[in-house]
Amino acid sequence: MQKSKLLKIYKNFLKIRLCQEKIIDKYHPEDKMKCPMHLCIGQELMPSVLGYYLKKNDSIFSHHRSHGYFLANKGSMKEMISEFYGKETGTNGGLAGSQELSCTKTNFYSGTILSGAFAMAVGDAFAKISKKQNNISVAVIGDGGMEEGITFEAINLAHLMKLPVLFVCENNMYSTHTNIKERSRTSLVSDRVKGFRIKTILVKNQNLYKLDHILNKTINNMRKNKEPVFLEILTYRFNGHVGPEGDDHFNYRPKKEINYWKHRDPLVKLEKLINSQKIIKEIKNDIIKEITSSFNFAEKSKLAKKWEQFNFNNGYSKAVKSFYKKRIFFSSKQEDHKPSSGKPY
Amino acid sequence: MIKTNRILSFSQAIKEAQTQAMKIDPKVFIFGLGVDKTAHIFSTTKNLKQKFGKKRIFDTPASEQALTMFAAGAANAGMRPILIHQRLDFMVYTFDQLVNWIALWSFKSAGKSKMPLVIRAVVGRGWGQGPQHAKCLHSMFAHVPGLKIVMPSSPSEAKGLLLSSIFSNDPVIFIEYRSLYNSKEFVPQKPYFLDIDTPNLRIKGKDFTVVSIGAGVLTSLRASKILEKNNISFDLFDCRSANSFKMAKIFNSLKKTKRLLVVEDGWSKISFSSEVISRVVESGIKLKSPPSRIAWPNSHIPMSTKLEKNFYFSENEIVNKIKNQFINTL
Repeated sequence: MQKSKLLKIYKNFLKIRLCQEKIIDKYHPEDKMKCPMHLCIGQELMPSVLGYYLKKNDSIFSHHRSHGYFLANKGSMKEMISEFYGKETGTNGGLAGSQELSCTKTNFYSGTILSGAFAMAVGDAFAKISKKQNNISVAVIGDGGMEEGITFEAINLAHLMKLPVLFVCENNMYSTHTNIKERSRTSLVSDRVKGFRIKTILVKNQNLYKLDHILNKTINNMRKNKEPVFLEILTYRFNGHVGPEGDDHFNYRPKKEINYWKHRDPLVKLEKLINSQKIIKEIKNDIIKEITSSFNFAEKSKLAKKWEQFNFNNGYSKAVKSFYKKRIFFSSKQEDHKPSSGKPY
Repeated sequence: MIKTNRILSFSQAIKEAQTQAMKIDPKVFIFGLGVDKTAHIFSTTKNLKQKFGKKRIFDTPASEQALTMFAAGAANAGMRPILIHQRLDFMVYTFDQLVNWIALWSFKSAGKSKMPLVIRAVVGRGWGQGPQHAKCLHSMFAHVPGLKIVMPSSPSEAKGLLLSSIFSNDPVIFIEYRSLYNSKEFVPQKPYFLDIDTPNLRIKGKDFTVVSIGAGVLTSLRASKILEKNNISFDLFDCRSANSFKMAKIFNSLKKTKRLLVVEDGWSKISFSSEVISRVVESGIKLKSPPSRIAWPNSHIPMSTKLEKNFYFSENEIVNKIKNQFINTL
C-alpha cells in the first residue's frame, strides 16, 4: 500500500477513534450532551477506507452509528460536536443531535429508524444519473437494519434500475443486545441478498488490505458501469450499544468473543504498518488539537433558539412567479361527476 | 373577460398539470405501480411515456416503502418526483417513511434541506371499493408537522394545485377522490399556480358558512343549487389543504353569517372537520347556532355499491342540516 494512502486512512481512523474516546470522557461528568449517542469504536475501518475513495458530490446515507462516516466524509468536527450539544452552530442547527446527523455540504445524511436512509440512497443515485453526474451513493446499514423489509425492496429497485449504489452492511452481530443467531438462521446478510443476483462481497476479520483492494476496484467499476454492489463487512463494536457507558456487564456477549475482536483491532495493524513513532505522534497531536478546539467551539456556541419555523420550507421553485387569483369567475360552473365504466380502476 | 369554453375533466386537468410541469422542469418525473400502462391512473398519465420517455415516467415493483424513500432521496438531491399510489390505502405501508423521515427532513436540518416531492393518492370511493380501497386518511396525515395535505375539489383547482404542489419545496400528499375524475369545468390552458394554504371562496352567499375540502365541495355545490329554491345561500370555502389552511377568510365570513357547517368526505372523529370547528370555537366568534358537521360515520366502509350508498352522505343531508338549523334558530 502506498505510504500516502496508508497515512490518510490512518488519519481518518485515528480521528474517529480519538473523537469517540473524548466523547466518552466528557459525556457524564459534564452531562451537557444529553442526546442518545451510538459510538463506533471498533467499527472505524470501513468509514476510514471508504472516506479515502469518495469524491466530491458522492453521498453517504448512514445508519445511526454514523460519526465515523460523517468524519471520514470530510464533515466538520466542530459542527458535529456542536450538534451534540444542541448548539445553533451544529451541522443541523442543534436540532438533530447524534442520531440524525446530516450535512448538506458533504452530502452526508443519517437517521435512526432504522433502514430509511438505506433506501433513500437509491433515489439519490437516480438523481445522479438523471443529472448525468459521475458519482455514487453509499448506503450504510447494520445487521439489525437489514431485518426490515424495505432493505430488500431497495436492493431490488437499485438492481432493476441499474443505479450506482454501494450498499454496505456492517455486521457486528448484535441488534442492540440480541445476537444474530437469535434473529435468523442465516447469519451472513450477504447470503440473503445473493438471490437478487446483485454483486455481493464479504470482508471478514477487519482485513485492511482486502477491504482497500475491494473498495478501490468496486468504486471505480461502479463509476463506469452504474451497477449496485452489496458489501458486507464483519466487524465488532467495542463500546456499548448506546451512550458512553459500557454494557458488557449485562453479559450479552461472550468474553472470548470480545477478546477475539479486540486482538484484531485494526488500529494496531495500521500503526505497525506506519512503523514510525514520530509520524504517529505528529498525526495524533494534530488530531487532539482539532478535538480540543472542536469542544471549545461547541461550548462557546449558543443553544439553538429556533425550530418551529423549520417544519415547513413554505418556499416554491422559481417556476412559481405568482398565484392565480381569478378562480372565482368560473367557480360555480363545475359539472357533476358521472361514473363512466363498470371497471374498478 | 376570460373565455370559459375550454372544458376539461378532472383527470384531463391533472394530466395537463403533469405535462406542463414536466415541460417546465426536466427534474420532474413520475413513477409508481402501473403508471405507464392499462388504465394510466384514471387516464391522468396517458401518453406521457411517448412524450417524455421512460426515464421521466416509469413503472415499478409494488415496494411502496422503498419507492417512498426513493422519492425522498431524489427530492433531497434536487429532483421533483411525483409518486403515484392507485389507492391511498397502500400508503399505510409507508407511514414510517412519511412520519419518521420525509415530514421531519426540513426540520431536523434546521431548514438546510428541502423535500420537494408529491405523492398522488386516489381515494377509491364508488363502485364498491370497500374497507381496504376507499379509506380517506387525510386527517391522519394532517396531524404530522412537515407534511402538506392537498385535496383538490374541481378540475381547475386540481390543475393549479398540482402545479403548485410539484413546485412547492415541501412534501405534499395530493389526495384525489375517484368520484371527481369525470367532473368537468373550464380550465385555463396556460400553466398557473394556486396558493395551497389559502382557502378558496367557491360561491358567495349570505346565510351560512360552509367549509369543505376535496369531494365534499362538489356535494356542497349540489346542495347550494337545491337551497337556492328556498332562497338560502351560503359562502362555500374550499380549504384546499387539510392542515396548512389559513382561517382569516373563514372567520370574516362567519362574522357575517354566524352559522357554520363543515362538510368532509372522511371519518368525522378527530378530523379535518374537528379542527375547523375547534379553531372557530377558539376564535370566540359568536355564532347563532352551534357549529355542525357532516362527515362519514366512524365505521369502516362496506364493500358493495348498494351498501356504499347508505354509507356516504349526499347533498340531501347537507340541505336538511342547513334547513333544520336555520329553522330552529329563526
